[in-house]
Amino acid sequence: MGSFKYALRDGARLIIRHWGLAFLTIFTSMAVFYLIGASVLLVLNTRHIVDILEGELSIQAYLAPNANYEEAARAVADIGHVTKVVIITQEMALERLKQRLPDRADVLTLLGENPLPSSLEVSIDRADNIESVVMALAAIPLINDIVYAGKLAEKLAKFSSFAGHFSLAMLIVAITASAVVLFNTIRIAVYSKEEEIGIMLLVGATPTFVAMPFVLQGIILGGAGSLGASIFLALSYNGIIARLKDLMPFLPFLESNSVVLELGLILVGAGATVSLIASLIAVETFTRRAMKPL
Amino acid sequence: MDIRFSGVSKVFYPDITALEDVYLEIPKGEFVYLVGPTGSGKTTLLRCITREVAPTRGQITVGSFSLRKISRVDLSIFRRDIGIIFQDFCLLPHLNVFENVAFVLEVLGAPPREVKERTGEILDQVNLWRRRFLYPPQLSGGEQQRVAVARAIVNSPSVLLADEPTGNLDLHTAEEIMQLIMSINALGTTVIMATHNQYLVDAFRQRVVGIRSGRVVRDERRGRYNLDGEL
Repeated sequence: MGSFKYALRDGARLIIRHWGLAFLTIFTSMAVFYLIGASVLLVLNTRHIVDILEGELSIQAYLAPNANYEEAARAVADIGHVTKVVIITQEMALERLKQRLPDRADVLTLLGENPLPSSLEVSIDRADNIESVVMALAAIPLINDIVYAGKLAEKLAKFSSFAGHFSLAMLIVAITASAVVLFNTIRIAVYSKEEEIGIMLLVGATPTFVAMPFVLQGIILGGAGSLGASIFLALSYNGIIARLKDLMPFLPFLESNSVVLELGLILVGAGATVSLIASLIAVETFTRRAMKPL
Repeated sequence: MDIRFSGVSKVFYPDITALEDVYLEIPKGEFVYLVGPTGSGKTTLLRCITREVAPTRGQITVGSFSLRKISRVDLSIFRRDIGIIFQDFCLLPHLNVFENVAFVLEVLGAPPREVKERTGEILDQVNLWRRRFLYPPQLSGGEQQRVAVARAIVNSPSVLLADEPTGNLDLHTAEEIMQLIMSINALGTTVIMATHNQYLVDAFRQRVVGIRSGRVVRDERRGRYNLDGEL
């Protein structure tokens, strides 16, 4: 208990003694974790949009005249990535058309014999598999024609994949930058107390005891930075989404506050963990060298 | 704690021999002066005991600890039983007298009440209780060295190493410090003191180990600083 109190007091002293550096470190980790949070939210939003569009995504495969529905449906169901096949007979197609055009029922009676082809409504698992499924469908002789919203699905899938990779790269760069800044801050603090640490080690302080105030300092700085970033992210996210909805009202953005809250908690945890590791490495390197005999 | 040097040599890079084939046995509770010219190896010998310096050859054992291979945790535990007094005091200027002494107990994880009581006792013993709120630069050389002594003995070490503890002091103050160290030795603490102070060595007669060019050249039970022109 005495040791912890000492570490807490000394950690606070270190922050106060190097307040300028502490401020810079908090500011840097705040900016870094804000960027990480923003890129994660970008990925979550694109995934959300893709998921919703994928749910609505289907391919219409029009069957050749007199084709056997069941046989065609079985052949389609065997294609990889196909999750559901619904048979739309000529009668069902006409019924749907009537429902879509309730005011023009009279016009439809003029058609005489039902001219609509029977078709299969094919659902797939992911938008980026659409191309391969379409190619497989085209190879089935019972199918005459294929209609699908291919370009939009493909573009969305590509953007989602790019956003995922970009976000991962951003995460690695940002966490590395944050760790380097924290490492240097702690290292400067360690060197400023070089003499004191030397005496501490000579009188029998353990390396863990020596490290504790610095590790606490690191956790406080990194944690404060990531907490600040989370607060700013929560404050700015709803505003940004409102603007985006004005610009692109047809896209379903994530509007749940719990996502931002969860992300905030993860960011604070990540900030504290990165700081812990960076501080430990900084102090450990020093104490290892200080305890090594000449 | 008994201290034993068995054939200890230390060569610093590239080829500076600081100690050469040193055999020395210091039983528990003994008072030993290390005497010799500057650069003879006295400080290196003391630093071998704290394992700030590792011998190139030979073995050093202090009590049950063999210093050749000692883990970092064991080294910390071992050092808790060693008190060190430096010639230049090595006090922390941003801590006051009380904090400089209490610091040792704090880093050893002593409870706050014990830190307060024990520090008070020691400051009283070295006549610094009234000066406890002053900072090192506000103290005289003798007072600073008394703080250093208090810090070295506050955790009741079994061994006290003193490297020129009176080097920067006038004769009267040096005698005061010497009396203090002798009283600590009288309580059973082994004391090894490196010194150039001929007057003190001759006035407070104890075992004298003479070192020249890293070698032990004499070892006398109740010796003098300088014998027939030799160390």
